[in-house]
Amino acid sequence: METTEKILTTAKMPFCPGCGHGVCVRSISKSLKELGYKPKDVALVSDIGCSGLVDPLFATHTIHGLHGRAPALGVGVTLGLDNPYKKVIVIQGDGGATIGLQHILEAARRNIDMTLVVINNLLYGMTGGQMSGLSTNEFKDYKHNDDNTEPYDVVNLAHQSGAAFSVRVNDISNFTDVLKEAISVQGFSLVELSSLCTSYGMKKVAEFKDFIAAEEKLMNKRPVGVSLKRETNSLLENIKGLDTQFTSTINDSIGVVIAGSAGGGIQSAARMLAKAGMLSGLHATMKGEYPITVGTGFSVAEVILSKKPINFTGLEKPSVVIAVTDDGWNKVKNRITENSKVFVDSKISTERNFETKEFLKIGGKKGAALCTVSHWIKESGIFPIEALLKVVEDSKYAASLQNAIKSADDL
Amino acid sequence: MIDASRIITEALVQSGADVFIGYPITPSNLFYSYSKERFPEFLAGPDEISVLQWMCGYSAAGKIPVTATAFPGLALMTETLNMAYMMELPMVLIITQRLGPSTGSATTGAQGDLKFIDGIISGGFPLPIFSPSNFDDAWTLSNEAVKTAIKFRTPVIILTSKELVMTQKSFNINSLETLEKVDTTPKAFEPPYQPYKAGEDMVPPFFPLGNNEYQVRFNSSTHDNDGLIRKGTPESLANTWRLREKLENRIDEYTFFELDAEEGATNLIVTWGVTADASRDAVYSIRNKGEKISLLIVKTLLPISKKIYDIIDSYDTVTFAEENMTGLYKEMIFGKRNNPKVKTATKFAAMLTPSEIEEIVK
Repeated sequence: METTEKILTTAKMPFCPGCGHGVCVRSISKSLKELGYKPKDVALVSDIGCSGLVDPLFATHTIHGLHGRAPALGVGVTLGLDNPYKKVIVIQGDGGATIGLQHILEAARRNIDMTLVVINNLLYGMTGGQMSGLSTNEFKDYKHNDDNTEPYDVVNLAHQSGAAFSVRVNDISNFTDVLKEAISVQGFSLVELSSLCTSYGMKKVAEFKDFIAAEEKLMNKRPVGVSLKRETNSLLENIKGLDTQFTSTINDSIGVVIAGSAGGGIQSAARMLAKAGMLSGLHATMKGEYPITVGTGFSVAEVILSKKPINFTGLEKPSVVIAVTDDGWNKVKNRITENSKVFVDSKISTERNFETKEFLKIGGKKGAALCTVSHWIKESGIFPIEALLKVVEDSKYAASLQNAIKSADDL
Repeated sequence: MIDASRIITEALVQSGADVFIGYPITPSNLFYSYSKERFPEFLAGPDEISVLQWMCGYSAAGKIPVTATAFPGLALMTETLNMAYMMELPMVLIITQRLGPSTGSATTGAQGDLKFIDGIISGGFPLPIFSPSNFDDAWTLSNEAVKTAIKFRTPVIILTSKELVMTQKSFNINSLETLEKVDTTPKAFEPPYQPYKAGEDMVPPFFPLGNNEYQVRFNSSTHDNDGLIRKGTPESLANTWRLREKLENRIDEYTFFELDAEEGATNLIVTWGVTADASRDAVYSIRNKGEKISLLIVKTLLPISKKIYDIIDSYDTVTFAEENMTGLYKEMIFGKRNNPKVKTATKFAAMLTPSEIEEIVK
């Protein structure tokens, strides 16, 4: 039912004489009014350019943003309001549609329930009449512009991306009816309205008709895009406390570097060592380093175990360095100090005589790091190996992890 | 074992943040994955510009949105961050610093974005930047970030670093007190309502788009109290100037720092973020050797309160400890010129260690 409340604040338009933008604004207002929307039911999102002058004309809620980004802002407003009784109308020009094309495609892909009105006057009207991505080649020829790149067909692009409704309208007398249809659609609707720029285009509508793309109207039947809300639980809820069950011989702190290759269980071995330390009454830190392509190359982990709380989590001088592959060794060999205890796999060729054992052969590709850690724990006696076995007992890989730990006995 | 990404995410949700909108980027990915699990609403944006635009839409609709990114993402968000600032939209951005310039080394930590962020609002307007120094700060400062965003109607940045948010650490989570959701009820105002008319506290009452009581206008361009574009009018310029005043004049309401002052000390270490723990260890070691030293850990990095200047001025020698090339926070305070009173303990592409800080302090 048509509302009696005024959608527009004024009948006077701020545009150049003869500009088509005024017709577009009045058509939007008329459509909303005839569809029964009250001003506070509507949030108008405006872009930059001549189309960005519309805010004061509307008695609705308004939000005036950046060049080309209004459709993205409209997506946020629509999903944020999450109210089917509120209507989000976004207005931008052909320049805005060019710079922010991705935002239109995304709104269409998600079929967000809002209406985008692209007022296409074939040029940038506020900066001197430059050509936009929606300027037709006929218009570019007319303007003696030698760029013959085909324009974007924003109506078809929105349709291909999944918009519920996308349409190009050239006939002013049809603007209101088409807008009403678009606004009534559930989902994303795009209306490209052809608009005369009398300052940089041409003076008469009759001339304009030769330069604009043909009308088209395209539809998709798709569910409306929504953002799901859910109840969630605290991220701290499932953090298990590790109560002290074993005793450690560490009186100060010790830093361990474990190095190998991606997929070799380096990070998990380090995490298990840290947890075993915590079960033995120690404070612990653990951090990993690996290339950005996480599935290849080196994998290095650092663990600090300390009797006192740990502030600085870096490892200046590692007490223990473990390397099970060449990838890992090459990454950590320069960090070894004269006081470092070093364990390297026998296949790694080192320049010095470090203790080597067949960690890879005995522990296996995925278990070598844990096998070496177990070997060191037993050799050093920092805490009972049972602490490490306790850590893995609830793992879904418990059997293979226990095997890797016990394999240290076979070294 | 726990990391600060988890703590920050949980604290933000408990404080009332409604939605996380993100685009994945190392080393902020843990925020993305934890937020997907924890936030009442989660959206994967197609790029960082869309992410912040969507956040602005949510914020204008009355929600508190959060994102997490690193320098490359923040660079793309910069124009929209200015829009959010100008519109006075509450939101929280987590920036995890990594080694630059450009794409640099995504998995190497750094403290190199401070000066970029200092000038990120065109015109040199202040933006609250919080920097947690440890897990306790990660909890409390995240809560303060939401409070500040709502109280001052402003975006707030939590500036952190790879090593701080990705390192796992044994930590007693029972020490974290449950946080209350921050109240977003619009405050009382003298009618008629104008969306950008502020009272004595310099912050206009916030009503969302779509409300049935008052017409609301948000505007990214210079605007009057009604939210309409006005170029160069006294009202619109005063409105823009107010953006600075509301944050500068009430700076001590959101200035946080930790001062470990030793009586009789004439030397001070000033640090922030990921280098704070190394500085704590350095101070412990220096004192064990019988030397006197004080430590200032700055947690509200920007804008800088007079309280920070006063503390620094009260010492004969000041050492700035930072994980960057030249000491970016030092340059905020003293500029780039050498100053006989000032030393810098800096490190490029690796964490500054306690012994390196101690060496410079000597």
